[in-house]
Amino acid sequence: MTEVLTSPIAPGRPSTRRNDDVTRLLPKPLLVIVIAVLLIVVLTPVLYILFASINSDVSVAQGAFFPAELHLDNYVKIWSTVDLGTGLFNSVVVCGAVALVCALLAVSSAYVLVRYSFRGRLTVLRALLGLQSIPGTLMLLPVFVLFSTAATTLGIQIIGTRGALFITYLTFALPFSTWVMVTYLRGLPRELEEAARIDGASSWRILTRIVIPLSWPGIVVSAIFAFLLGWNDVLFASVMTSPESRTAAIALQVFGATQEGGAIPLYGQMMAASLICAVPVVVLYLVFQRYLVGGLTAGGVK
Amino acid sequence: MTTTTPASVTSAATQADGRPVGSTPTGGRPARRRGRSPNERNRPFWMLAPGGILMILVIVIPLILAIVISLLDLDQYTLRSWLQAPFIGLQNFVEAFTRSTLLRSIGISVSFAAIAAVVTLPIGVAAAIATQNKFVGRGLVRSIFLIPYVLPAFVVGTVWRTMLQPGGVVDDALASIGIHTGLWLNGPQSFWALILVQIWSSWPFFYLLVLAGLQAVDHEVHEAAAIDGALWWTKLRYVIFPYLRGPIALAVIISFLHNINGFTLPFVLFGVPAPQDVDVLPVLTYVTSFQSFRFGLSASMAVASLVLIAIPLFIYLKAVRLDTGEEGRKP
Amino acid sequence: MKARHALVAVAGIAILGLALQGCSGGSTPAASGSSAAVDGKGKSIDVMVGANTLYPTQQKQWFQDVSDRFEKNTGATVKFETYASANDELTKIQTSVISGQGPDIYNLGTTFTPTANATGAFVTLTDADWNKIGGRDKFLPATLGISGPDKKHEVGIPFASRPFVMAYNTDLLKAAGIDKPATTWDELTAQSKKLTSGGSYGMALAYADSYDPWKFIWAMSVQAGNPILDGKKARVDDPTTLTAYETYFDWLTKDKVVDPQAIGWKNAQAVAAFAAGKAAYLPMTTSTSKISLDSSVVAGKYAYALMPTIPPGKKSLPKGGKAASSILSGDNMVIAKYSKNQDLAFALMKQFTSASAQLEYNKLFGDLPTNAAAAKKLENGNDQLIPIIDSSSKSVGTPFSGAWGDTQLALVNVVVQSIPSLSNGSISTSEIKSKLASAQSTVQASLDKAK
Repeated sequence: MTEVLTSPIAPGRPSTRRNDDVTRLLPKPLLVIVIAVLLIVVLTPVLYILFASINSDVSVAQGAFFPAELHLDNYVKIWSTVDLGTGLFNSVVVCGAVALVCALLAVSSAYVLVRYSFRGRLTVLRALLGLQSIPGTLMLLPVFVLFSTAATTLGIQIIGTRGALFITYLTFALPFSTWVMVTYLRGLPRELEEAARIDGASSWRILTRIVIPLSWPGIVVSAIFAFLLGWNDVLFASVMTSPESRTAAIALQVFGATQEGGAIPLYGQMMAASLICAVPVVVLYLVFQRYLVGGLTAGGVK
Repeated sequence: MTTTTPASVTSAATQADGRPVGSTPTGGRPARRRGRSPNERNRPFWMLAPGGILMILVIVIPLILAIVISLLDLDQYTLRSWLQAPFIGLQNFVEAFTRSTLLRSIGISVSFAAIAAVVTLPIGVAAAIATQNKFVGRGLVRSIFLIPYVLPAFVVGTVWRTMLQPGGVVDDALASIGIHTGLWLNGPQSFWALILVQIWSSWPFFYLLVLAGLQAVDHEVHEAAAIDGALWWTKLRYVIFPYLRGPIALAVIISFLHNINGFTLPFVLFGVPAPQDVDVLPVLTYVTSFQSFRFGLSASMAVASLVLIAIPLFIYLKAVRLDTGEEGRKP
Repeated sequence: MKARHALVAVAGIAILGLALQGCSGGSTPAASGSSAAVDGKGKSIDVMVGANTLYPTQQKQWFQDVSDRFEKNTGATVKFETYASANDELTKIQTSVISGQGPDIYNLGTTFTPTANATGAFVTLTDADWNKIGGRDKFLPATLGISGPDKKHEVGIPFASRPFVMAYNTDLLKAAGIDKPATTWDELTAQSKKLTSGGSYGMALAYADSYDPWKFIWAMSVQAGNPILDGKKARVDDPTTLTAYETYFDWLTKDKVVDPQAIGWKNAQAVAAFAAGKAAYLPMTTSTSKISLDSSVVAGKYAYALMPTIPPGKKSLPKGGKAASSILSGDNMVIAKYSKNQDLAFALMKQFTSASAQLEYNKLFGDLPTNAAAAKKLENGNDQLIPIIDSSSKSVGTPFSGAWGDTQLALVNVVVQSIPSLSNGSISTSEIKSKLASAQSTVQASLDKAK
């Protein structure tokens, strides 16, 4: 493997002469098979959701795959049945903020944890994973008590605001996001930073000028995880939101509401709404996925 | 936009160092060559402060409260003035271990979580590797791969519930090729149904982590392997995987923990009371807490299982050296 | 070490804060007993109700109308919060109770009233309180059956009645030569056998539902004289309960009057099967199923009837048995003790339970009134409602005990854990007995803890 060092590397930006064939990891037929199989596995249930979203509720309840009748109006009704618009807005605002702040806190924490040695470093790293194993159902009551206590002692209303959700999701996303950054930073060469340090650059400057630009794939991924943590949560949101701060997941849940011995739930609208709710995330991902390409090479560190 | 700044810093750094920075570490593995111990001077601890304070406030203090609760006889009758609830020491723990189904639930949860995590691993890796290179529609494929992870768990649960119900799509499809299965949502098969659905909804997690890990692989490493004329699987095994050890080790443990703590999916798939083959830990603690109102007992179950799960977690960390970060050093 | 000290200090402060708050949460705001109109200018009151997805726009309009009217009467506005499911609601109640803050008024399913009462976090209504609402006498006596453990300690204000009935397919019954729906369980079984042919079954049942099964078991047991919770004694292992389970299971395994797939059905699937015309009877449903049925192929071809009131194996009501046609079902409202607007809450209750408001609510959402005058008015000249109103007056309240939640769970759990055997074709009496024995010990333990 020492060829790496000796092989002639043309000076300048390697990306200009990059050949995708070099980085290809699977032979083409295998690649096609893998992608095709995965697409089928993913899309079959998604197709089921799509069909169900235009089907009648009775037919969905009976377990039919193909729609018996066409109910495109489900896509219209969902906006008035529950306040899906407000829900989506709240979710995007809260989860977007969580993703951003979480990724930044995670990269700075991980930077310290990976690049500096101090007593208790391993304990912190292990504890972060330990925190990850605490079940949400255990934390629900205590967190609520804490917030309501803070509200009464400090005289500010926390529960029911978007801020409460933001703080909760941010904190619960942090341990994992930090770990994502830890593993990512470990993979990065240290030379650049050390050179900059010898140059007299401050830790902050090294973090913002070298580490972060090199870590985009890690940052984007940890932001995605932080975003989705809040996006999919119903446990905390169900007790911490007011009608104004209700998230999309909570709004969605109302569609599945049933009364004992009552009517069939609004399956069609629920499926339509869940597809609609998936759209913002998929679009955001499409926008950000270009940062998922080689932080190292894109950074031009050659 | 990210290219200019580091590049300029780089050139300055190169001169100062008097050594080309671009030299890749031996063996093409992540940099471990120099500076074995991380820097010990000017440690910017303040960077840890915001996250640390948040976690102490919102996770550690509530956790302490939860542990206190686990020592109280807290139920619907004492909930309102919960600090006056009788302190009963370890009685909740005794009850959890001797008179509840806690141990069985831990067994189910651990095996379910481990199987689902292990099966998801190759799927996620394959997906990441397959979408590593540009092809027409790659963005779309990558986005589609994300969908199962983006759908709320209760939607996934509802959809699979109707698909798996007797006479549902799954039964029909299997019957058409001559396979007749029994119940999916109760009985022994329900355990596998839970694993199946969990895998479906969580594999993109692996995929995302591995995808990020792949980006850390230096372009030159690819080139070197190409010059070597290595076969694709040799390259994967000996060149690429060493880079992925960290992310994969992390993904395995986190996905295991997520599976252990996943509540909504089994709750929606099977309802409560849960069939005994899928009476997983979160459902048990949820029902004990929010339907039977035995908050103290439920907290003791959760705390006990936390401790029980911490043991294999610790062994795992040692084994893969995830915590010390030396997984890349081993050949 | 330093960090650990800091941590202990922070935790200490937090716990101290909690303690202070715990004390203040214990005291009840003094209720002023003035009978004059309440002045709530500039105030607002929070009410937690279930989200009605079947009539979403109507519900929003109703929220607005209620608030407007309340503002005209008292100067205060009403803010509604909604929950999606009973589980959500329980969680919300628990967090509110433990923290001493949350909505002023909760709208509860009747079976949750004992649980809410057990927390002691809701106002026990005195005579003066009832007077502020407009008098206890204005309610249908039957609807007060699950407001409290006894007349002196009631927390629940009856708001809506939603009794269980059964729907039957008139065409299918006629085709089978049955001129009137069954009134005993044995008759129901016999008719169902007749009605089962081709792809169509006698009954649509949801064996995998989280709520349905216990209602069958409870009804058959009560009719046979076993209230399940008999004072401080649980009677889950009673022979009457065993008979109830056997009847319920036999429909599937021996009588074969139920679609074999019903073993995996939730309530929605059973309603769907009936709505598709594939079942003659849909027992254990409420008038809210109307909206699904009226938009299906059985629209105009179905009717509601009382559920059987004579226990299995009997021709007439045995001694000690109660002719319960339904659990006492519907909504109660409870007022939180921590509420700082209790007088406003009572004023709102008065508004909610007036005859005119109750009739309007019925028109909008189909739930029956709890106000006696309103119920009387409704009865006149509405044939379709007669069996439902009839069932409302023949409803029997489930035992008012903090252990009822656990009892319900245990009763359903017997069915859930029996399903693998049922799917193999049969379940032995001894197997049911052993499951009942373990349910009995769970329920008894819960009952022993009850205060």
